[in-house]
Parts: sequence; structure tokens; C-alpha cells
Amino acid sequence: MVTDNSLHGSTQELLVIVSQGQSRSPEKRALEESIAAMSVTLPNTSCLVVPHLYDLGNDSLTLEKLRSWSGPIVLLSWLFDRAAFWVLDRHGVRGQSGEVQLLNPDLVSDDEDDDESVEDRIDEKADERVANIATRPSRSIYSIDLRSSMVVADYEQEFRRILSLEQIDAPKRDVLSLDRFLNPTNTTALARDGSGTLETLNKSDVTLTQLGIVPLRVDEHPTRRWYPVIDYSRCTNCMECIDFCLFGVYGVDRAETILVEQPDNCRKGCPACSRVCPENAIMFPQHKTPAIAGAPIDAGGFKIDLSKLFGAPDRDEDPVAAAARERNEQLILAGRAAVEMPTGVATSKGAQQADISESTVPAKARDALDSLIDELDALDL
Amino acid sequence: MSESLTFMMGEFAAEFPCDRLYARNHMWAMPLAEKVFRFGFSAYAVRLLQDVYFIDFDVAVDTNLSSRQEFGSIESKKAESGLYAPISGHVVRVNDQLLEDPSCINIDKYGEGWLMEMQGEPDELLSPTAYLEHLVKAWDVAQRTIKGQANSVESDEE
Repeated sequence: MVTDNSLHGSTQELLVIVSQGQSRSPEKRALEESIAAMSVTLPNTSCLVVPHLYDLGNDSLTLEKLRSWSGPIVLLSWLFDRAAFWVLDRHGVRGQSGEVQLLNPDLVSDDEDDDESVEDRIDEKADERVANIATRPSRSIYSIDLRSSMVVADYEQEFRRILSLEQIDAPKRDVLSLDRFLNPTNTTALARDGSGTLETLNKSDVTLTQLGIVPLRVDEHPTRRWYPVIDYSRCTNCMECIDFCLFGVYGVDRAETILVEQPDNCRKGCPACSRVCPENAIMFPQHKTPAIAGAPIDAGGFKIDLSKLFGAPDRDEDPVAAAARERNEQLILAGRAAVEMPTGVATSKGAQQADISESTVPAKARDALDSLIDELDALDL
Repeated sequence: MSESLTFMMGEFAAEFPCDRLYARNHMWAMPLAEKVFRFGFSAYAVRLLQDVYFIDFDVAVDTNLSSRQEFGSIESKKAESGLYAPISGHVVRVNDQLLEDPSCINIDKYGEGWLMEMQGEPDELLSPTAYLEHLVKAWDVAQRTIKGQANSVESDEE
């Protein structure tokens, strides 16, 4: 019997994870579904549609499935690709960040030379980066921001490129055909049953899902969470965050490496520790400021920001002052006493943080421009 | 429906019922009890937002907020914003129904689409008439803000 539909990945197959957004946007939902349906028509590709990855808790069924997969992964989410990669890493699904060509157009620098110089730059702290000390498995995880494109064909092209890169693009398993389904003859289609004994089954026991011909789904409805996510390719284990946070979110593992030990102690909406991190290694994937949510520095927003109109105070703070204010707001909300600004703040290092501020607003995408103009039209200005 | 006032946003007629007060940050405030108010987005705010796809609250009941303190975020088809406390006070209830289906804000902004309830002093709240006067000025600022963001996009593109 095929009763076990957990994932038994091999390096011969690609798993496409579609992390559903929290937003009710019909366009976003439709894109998720179209990509999932397309991906399972590709050779050697399975698809798992999961709830918003960031919200999943440790006991999540989804994560249990994902941890059992050892092959390459394409991760699709409505988060910045770097944030999504490290959310998955935090959940114990680890690998090397695979190079993605389908990028969020809002975040692509026009200046090619600039890109190269960044890549060529020698990382003087390479020896201190946690990910270089505690190395991750060699399989690749290709994280793609779903805001990159609303066109399914763009994703198909990217998936095919990745299949080719992984050298698993040979069509071992074809596009769904009734004949193939009723008479499974190849071995890769057996990957989902894990026992390799599909031939002995009564055909009526075999579902399309078990054959990997339709996307697998996890019926799970997590509640919303808020916690920091550490990019260990940047983190140098300097401990600024554990000193700064007064809510006990951070801890260290047995190797004395920093980790987000009590994520649910984190104060919802508060991004203060991310502002004091000297390496910009701490992300809050849901924060509205792109630089805090894991975007490259200077990335723009994607929509009109109405915060000023809806009452956001005018503030001209440096990141250290902002962090101290945010922490105090949370202390007061928690019924505790506010603290003097210098507590746990290394002002010299923090001052290097000038790039992370609320002023990273101006958008610069074709899409954003289009919608802004729609907006202007709609408002009849 | 009780009496209401109308403000023209371009061609769009935004309606403001007179059975409640209003905050400068475009929320209505329905008095529920002594110094307890239910807040929601006014027609003006909802028109700027258009279809709401996502809302999140950073604040739990039984906590205190100061005026204009951020307590959540909202995302719509066209825009995004933080949510800012309309007055200083104590949070009594938040409308958790919106987490699952924020479209209530569009469908029934003055009823089921309410955001939260707070206990606090009403000093900062405006009468419907005073709110409409505030809108005349606010509408100028809104147009400039939206145009300003659009212009910065255009100049970046060049």
C-alpha cells in the first residue's frame, strides 16, 4: 500500500516549494496555483504547496516533510529571496544558496559594473561568518521571490534552467498522460512511495498526487508569527543582538553560536535588533522597510506608502536611536520600565548602520510605476 | 442610514456618517461607552487604499498605546501603510476577523470592517464637520504625496 506520502528526495529530482502568501490578493493566489500546476509537468520535478513558511512552528507537518527531502529545492515565496532561504535554514531545511536568474526587477541594479565589484570584493570577515564555520549541506536551494514576475512562463524557463544546471533535465518522467498514469513503467515515478514496489499495487490505490503529477498540499493553518531570522552567511557571532534584546529571544547553541532560541518571545512589529546588527544579518521578513525584510540595501518599496497620511509620526532618527525607541515602546507595552539608550547598544558599530533607515522608500520598477499611474488616474488628480 | 456628509475626492464621493466622531488619521470613532471608542477607516482612507488584501495587528488587547504609535500594518491593491493609534489609550478589542478576511474593510467600512476599540480621552477627535474641514487640507497633502512618490519613480526611471 502506498500510505506514506512523505518526501523521499533524491538528488535526481527537484522539489518546488510554493509558500502561499498571507495576502488575499486573487492575482497572487492564481499565480501560486499556476506555477504549482506547471511545475509538475516538468521532468523530474515534484511540487509541494505549503502555508506561509515564516508562520510554521517547530511541530509543523510541513516542515517534517521538507526535512525529509535531500534533493535540490526551488523555494517560491512572497518574501525577499534571502529572507526565505534563511527562514528555511532556521527550520532545519538547509543547503547552499543556488544562483537564481529570475530576480525581482525592483531590486536589480542597472549598473553591471557595480554588481561585479560587489562580487569581486573580498570578504575580510569570511573566517568569522557562521555559515563558513558551520557549513551547510551541498545540495542547492534556489530561492525565488514571487514578486519577480507574474508570468508563469518566466518561472518555467527558470525551472528548466535549474533542472539543466542540476543535470536532471532528461525527461525520465513525462508530462501527464493517461496511459503513463495507468501503466507506470519508469522508476522515477516511484519516488513518492519510497518502497519501489509500485508495480504490485492495485492501480486504484495510486493517486495522481502520489505519482507526483499534481502538487502535494499540506493542510495546515498556522497562526501569524513574528521573530528575527539570522542570515548566517553574514552573522559573525558578535553577540550584539543577544546583548540588545531584553526579551530573551536570542540564545546560543552548544557550539556557542547565536540562535533565535525563543522566537515567540519576540515583540510583534519590533525590528530593533535588526537595526543594531553590525553585519545586517538580522531580518524580519514581514517588516515594511525592505532593508529590514531582507532586501538588498537601497531596494525600493513596491506600493504607494500611505503611512504619513495615516498618522505616521515624522521622525528623523539614526538607526540606533530608532532601535532604542522601539525597544522602549515594547518594554512599556510589556509593562516593564524603559531603559536608558546606551543599554546593549554598541554605538560605534551601530553607527555604521546608516543604510538601514526608513528613508529607503523611492520605488523604481516598471510595475510600481504602472500601478502608481493607475492610482493617479483612479484618483482623477 | 443616518445623516451623513460628503467630500469629493476628484469624481469620487466619500460619505461620512454623522453618528460618530473622526480622527485626523482618517479613522472614524464610534462612542461605545464612557471614553470607549470603536475605530475603523473612514471612506476617505478606504478610497485611498482600495481593495485591502492584508492586515496585521502588532498589538494585543489590554495594552496601552500612545497617540500615533504604530500598532500594525495594512496592504491593499495599490498601497501599504502602518496602522497608527488615533488617540492615546488602552486597547480594549481588536477585530481579529479581519486577519482572515480583510475585505470587510471595503464592503462594510462603517460596520463590520472596524479595526479596534480603545479606551481613552476623546480630546483629539473631531466632529464630522471639523473632520471635513480637515479633509480639505488633507486632500491637498494626499495628492502631493501620491504625486511625489510617482514623480520620484519617474525620475529614477530616466
